[in-house]
Amino acid sequence: MRSILVFLIFFIWANTVQATAVEKPVVKPVIKKGFVLKTDSSTIDLRKFDETAVKKYSKQKEFIYDDVAPQSLSLWDRFWRWFWRLINKIFSGGITGSIIKYILIAVVIAIVVFVVIKLIGIDYKFLIGKSKTVTVPFEESLENIHEIDFDEQIDFALQNKNYRLAVRLLYLKTLKKLSDKELINWQPEKTNQAYVLELENENYKQEFNVLTNQFEYIWYGEFFIDKLDFDSINQSFLQFNQKMI
Amino acid sequence: MEQEMFNQRTDLSQLSAAVDQIRQSLSHVIIGQKDTIDLLIAGLLADGHLLLEGVPGVAKTLSAKLVAKCISATFSRIQFTPDLMPSDVLGTAVFSPKTAEFQFRQGPIFGNIILVDEINRAPAKTQSALFEAMEERQITVDGNTYKLEEPFMVLATQNPIEQEGTYRLPEAQLDRFLFKIEVKYPSLAEEIEILTSQHQQKTEDQLKEIKAVLSVEQIKTLRATIKSLFVEPKLLAYVAQITHETRHNKSLYLGASPRASLAIVNGAKAIAAMAGRDFVTPDDIIKVAAPVLAHRIMLSPEKEMEGLTTADVVAQIIKKIEVPR
Repeated sequence: MRSILVFLIFFIWANTVQATAVEKPVVKPVIKKGFVLKTDSSTIDLRKFDETAVKKYSKQKEFIYDDVAPQSLSLWDRFWRWFWRLINKIFSGGITGSIIKYILIAVVIAIVVFVVIKLIGIDYKFLIGKSKTVTVPFEESLENIHEIDFDEQIDFALQNKNYRLAVRLLYLKTLKKLSDKELINWQPEKTNQAYVLELENENYKQEFNVLTNQFEYIWYGEFFIDKLDFDSINQSFLQFNQKMI
Repeated sequence: MEQEMFNQRTDLSQLSAAVDQIRQSLSHVIIGQKDTIDLLIAGLLADGHLLLEGVPGVAKTLSAKLVAKCISATFSRIQFTPDLMPSDVLGTAVFSPKTAEFQFRQGPIFGNIILVDEINRAPAKTQSALFEAMEERQITVDGNTYKLEEPFMVLATQNPIEQEGTYRLPEAQLDRFLFKIEVKYPSLAEEIEILTSQHQQKTEDQLKEIKAVLSVEQIKTLRATIKSLFVEPKLLAYVAQITHETRHNKSLYLGASPRASLAIVNGAKAIAAMAGRDFVTPDDIIKVAAPVLAHRIMLSPEKEMEGLTTADVVAQIIKKIEVPR
C-alpha cells in the first residue's frame, strides 16, 4: 500500500515538472522581397470654375453670408456688458490688491447665507446673541429705566397724590441703583423675585425682599395707600438706598 | 409691617389651613416632589384636570390616589387598557326584564375624583369618551344628557409617549388638562429616605393614617374664593402676550389656545392663594406657564429632531417678554 502511494506521488510530481517546463519560441528567418513602383501615366484633365455660375450664385440671397449689419445694443444690454466687464476686471486682477474685491466677495457670501437661512427658516437671532425682547404694549414700558428722571417723576406723582405710582417709581429707582452698583443684572424680562435671589449680600437680600413685597402688594395687588402709608414706605426705601452708597 | 399695612381683603385662612394639611399628609408618604405636590394642590383648587407624566415607578398613581384621599368625595379608578370601550367609561343602556325597558347604568366616570390610570394605553376612540365630560361636566349617551356632580376632577397618569404600547393623546384632550405635571426621579438623598421609610414599614402606616381634609362643600367654597382673586390688567396682557407668542414662534408647529390663557390665569390665582396673597404676581404666572403650555403646544419637526422640548420653548418665550412692573 505504501509503495503504491509513493509511486502515485512520484507519478504526479513527474507530470507536473514536465507540464511546467517552458517551451522556447522558434525564431523563423524573414525573407524580404523587392518592391516594384508603378508610374501613373494617365493624362490630367484641368477643370476651371464656371465664372458665370459663380456670379449667378453670388447674387442669390441664400449664398450671401457675411454682409449682415450688426444691430445696435440696447441700454439694458450695454449696462450688463459694462457690469460683466467690471466684474471681470475686478476678478481678473484689474484692481488687484484692492479691498473692494474682498468686500464684494463678503457681500455675495452674506447674501447667499441670508437667502439660505430665510429659505430654511432658521431663527437667525442666535447669531446676534441675546434674542430681542418682545415689549408688552404698556403705557409705562421699562426699556429705558436708565433714562427716567425718577426724582422729578416721583415729585409729579406726589403732587397728584398718586401714591401708588410714587411707590412704583421708588422701586424702579432702587432697581436702577442696584443695577448701577452691579449688584443685579437688570433685564426687563426678569421678575422682582429673580432680583431678590440675585443679591448675594444676605442683609441686602432680606431688606430688598421686604421692599419688593411692599411694591407688589401696592402695584399688583392695587392696595390703597394714603400719604401716611407712603411716608412710611418712602422711609424704608430711603434707608435701603442710603445703605448702598 | 406688611400684615399691618396690607390687611387681607379676602379671607384666606381656611384655604391656607387646608393647603398646609394636604401638604403635610402628602409629604409624609411622598418623599420630595415638592413642586409636584404644589401643582397637584393648585390644580385641585383651580378646578382643573391634571395629567401626571413620568416613567414607571415615580409615584404618579400614588400621588393621584393620595390627593383623592385628602378629599371626602366619591372616587373612581379606571385602568385604561387597549381593549377598553367608551361604554366602559361612560356607562351603557341595559335591558331590564322587569320593566321591559332599557335602563342607563352609570359608568365609573360618575364620581367626583376620577383616577384614569395609564390614560395613553387606550386608543383614541376611548380617550375621546372623556372630551365632553372633561369640558362640559356632562355626558351624552343614546341622546340623553347626564350632568356630572361637582366637583369633578380627572387625574390621569401616563408614561412618556416613547414607550411601547401607548397612543398619543389627541390635542383636543390634552388641551382639556389644566396642568401636565412631570413627575421626575427623586434625588439621591430623597431615594435614601424612601428606602429607609419603606424598610421601617412607615409608609404603609402613614398611608392608612391619611384622612380627608376637605369636604365637597369646602372645595366648592375654596374654588369660588380663588376665582375672585385680583389680577392686575397689565398681568392679563402679560399672559396674553405669552400665549400669543406661542402662535408665532418658529420652533413651534402648534401654538396654545385661548383656553391656555385662561388656564394660566386660573393656575396663577391658585398659586397666589397658596402663597397667602389675594392677588397675582408675575412670578405666579411664570410658575404655571410651563405646566399649562408644555402639553398644549407642538414642536416643529426639525426642532423635535434637534432634541428641544416644549418646556424649553416656553422658557425661551418667557425670557423674551418684558415683565410688567
